[in-house]
This record gives sequence, structure tokens and C-alpha cells, in this order.
Amino acid sequence: MARRYDSHTTTFSPEGRLFQVEYAMEAISHAGAAVGVRTDEGVVLAAEKKILSKLLETSVASEKMHKLDDHVGVAVAGINSDANILINSARLSAQRYLMTYQEPVPMEQLVQTLCDQKQGYTQYGGLRPFGVSFLFGGWDKNCGFQLYQSDPSGNYAGWMAAAIGANATAAQAILKTEYKEGMSLTDARRLATKVLKQTMDSTKLEAEKVEMAEVSWKSDAKQAVAYRVLKETELAELCDQANKEAEAKAAAGKK
Amino acid sequence: RLETRARRGDRSRRNSIAMSIMSYNGAAIIAMVGKNCVAIASDLRFGINQQQTTAVDMRKIHKIHDHLYVGLSGLATDQTTLSQKFKFRHNLYELRENRKMKPETFAHVVSNILYEKRFGPYYAEPVVAGLDPETGEPFITGMDLIGAMAPTTNFVVCGNNEESLFGVCESMYKENLEPEELFEVIAQCLLAGVNRDCLSGWGGVVHVISKDKLITRTLKGRMD
Repeated sequence: MARRYDSHTTTFSPEGRLFQVEYAMEAISHAGAAVGVRTDEGVVLAAEKKILSKLLETSVASEKMHKLDDHVGVAVAGINSDANILINSARLSAQRYLMTYQEPVPMEQLVQTLCDQKQGYTQYGGLRPFGVSFLFGGWDKNCGFQLYQSDPSGNYAGWMAAAIGANATAAQAILKTEYKEGMSLTDARRLATKVLKQTMDSTKLEAEKVEMAEVSWKSDAKQAVAYRVLKETELAELCDQANKEAEAKAAAGKK
Repeated sequence: RLETRARRGDRSRRNSIAMSIMSYNGAAIIAMVGKNCVAIASDLRFGINQQQTTAVDMRKIHKIHDHLYVGLSGLATDQTTLSQKFKFRHNLYELRENRKMKPETFAHVVSNILYEKRFGPYYAEPVVAGLDPETGEPFITGMDLIGAMAPTTNFVVCGNNEESLFGVCESMYKENLEPEELFEVIAQCLLAGVNRDCLSGWGGVVHVISKDKLITRTLKGRMD
């Protein structure tokens, strides 16, 4: 019955649903998970790499994490080619704002502009929506560190911790219990790794399967923020810790 | 001749004798190549309508990245807009290509931006100075207001007192100078050049860029 209403993206169904948008979200639920945690010291974004192959040339560019401007980074879940279009658009939007106002674009503005673009594809043109969800992590001088999540419908919300992609609901539930206000950045990194481990298929977390980036103060002087991707060594350490914690918990559980 | 102008009315007397849009604000910029380093220097005067000095801390050299600087002479408003456009283009380049621009590449971008306005140009003449981010090789070039590049291996000048700056650089410049020596030469050239020009002066700023070090110093010259 639903079939009659889902071929045109811009038509509502009798129950008031936009099927193409929902199908897009379904596509995202099959993509690699991404988790974001916000603290007063910075925002951490962690993601599961889905494309793993020895034949893959490791380039500088990452699969899931992208820098939009010096003070904002984004984690992607969904169709990567769709994501690339939107990321390019976001980068241009951020630079145009910088050009006009000579100050870095406030996070919510950037998110809103991008979401307005996504919304357009649910109302005009008859083109399919973008099959991507984003987790934006960044800083601006008005609201400090912020984390936003957006989906194909063009809806967005600010979160203290959020997850997108495969097993997002399970990840969100874990975050709800484990997130504490006033967490430090180190704790946030550990939490993100832990949640990622629990939502991924494998039992042991390996550094090659994970990507992590954060937006935090460049130095203790707190003069400027920077987006940076965590190095292999840092990732290996975090994965080790997460694995040990899980083993200890399992051993304690058995007793 | 002054009487003729007076008869035409008060307004004509207020106009400058020989008005050129390029000398409305006033500037003097020099860039020089040294041994594995480049130096770029400019004056600090900002004037309006040639006669009035409005600011004495007007920066005409803009940083694009750690090893790439661009200096702009000519109309101040075009200087500002152009430096903002260059930053825009470089930011996007860095985000997309994940690397910093080479000075030659940047010079071509600058030339392109200027030529786009071939028949209604920006009244600014840039000087690009930088080191290749990977090899550290020095590069400098000057350009006219519609983007004609003139890369050299010794020095480039631009500004209101170009002829004077050329002369001074020609006599004082030597090849393969170390950063500190290069600083001395470029500073002396700049001061000698601007001291005789009423449209540029009020001190200067010098940047000497080497692979691992940046020397930035402010000069105090004839404060007029």
C-alpha cells in the first residue's frame, strides 16, 4: 500500500510520512557507526571504518572525518558520494561567511545552511534526498563547544552526545547512561571508543578499524581551537584500554 | 595656473594636482630572495586623498600560510578585499587538497583573480613572496593590476615610488644573503626608498621567512 506514495520524494503519504526520507535514513542505518561526545574542553568524534582492505591505498584524506573549517569538523554516516557534495557546500558556505564577516562562521549557522540544502531535496525538484547523516563537532565564541546531528530530512539538533549509522539507537542508549556532565576530554575519548566498541560487530577493537577526530584548544593558553585527527598511536592506546575494560567486565560478570 | 583653478571654483582647488587612483592611498613594498629564505617589507602609511595621513599602522603584507606572504600596493580598499579573497581561495585549497599552496601556484591564483576583472580592474598591485612548502626553494614575483606576472630571482618592488625603490635595490642587493643580512639590506632599501616619497613612509615592517624561522621586525624611519 505504501508503494503508491514512495516514488515521488515530494509527496506525503496519507499517514503524513515522507517515504523517501525514511528510506534514506534506512540506508544510513547500514553504514558505519559514528559517535560524538561534547565536553567543555572539546568535542570528540569517533567512527567505524567500513572499507577495510589491504589493497586500499591509504591516502591523507579520511573516509569518515572531514574538516569543514579550522574550528569545525564533521563525521559522516551514509553514502560517501552524497556526503562529499554536502561537505564541499559546507566548506564554501563557511568561507563565504568568513569573507563577509571576517570572523569564523558560528556552528549553528553552518549546520542550518547545510540542513536547508538537505530540506530542499525533500520539497522541490523531485530529486532524491541525500543519504547522509552528519555529526558536526566544533567551537564558536558565542556558545563554546557544540555537537550537532543532522539527518536526510534536514532536521538537526544540538546534543551532549549522539550517535549515527549502524546500531545508533543502541549506541545512544549507552551514551545516555554513561555520559556525565563536566566530563574531561580524555574521558570523552574513552567513552566514544567504548561506545564504538560495543556497537561494532567485532569483539576486539583494532586501531585500523577506527577513526577519531576532535576539535579542542590548540594549547593551554586557550587562544585558538583546532580540528585534528588522532594519530595511530593514540588510537591504539584507546583501543587497548577499551578492550581491557571489556575483558575485565566480562571476567567479573562470569564470577 | 593656480588662478585658473580658483576661478573654476573652490572644489577644484581641493583636488590634487595629478590624481591617479593608484596613488590615492600610498604604499611601498619590496620582496627579496636570499639564501634559502625570502624577505618582504612594506611601509605603514595609510593616507586619504594623497595629502591626509589617516593611519600609521596599516599592514600591507598579509600572511597566507607560514611560508607564503603577499604584499599589496595601490588602492587600500582593493588591497583589503583582495587579501580576503586570497585567504578564501587558499582556505578552500587547503581543505580540499590537504596541503598548503606552493608560492608559484598562489601567484597564478592571484593573477587569475586580477585578470577576471580585466576591463574593470582592482587597483592593486601585488607582490608574492614565499618558500616551497616541501623543498624550501624561494620564490618571489610582482604583478601589475591585471595579473601580468614577472617572476625574478633577485627582487621585486611595487608602490608609488617604484623607480626610486628599483634604484636603491639594484645598488644594494647581493645574491645568497643569509636571513639576518637580508633583513639589513631590505630594511635599508625600504627606508631609503620611502624617505623621499611623501605617499609612503611612517616606518615599515619586514618579514624574513626561512624554512624553520620567521623574523618579523618593525622599522622606525622618518615619521612623515
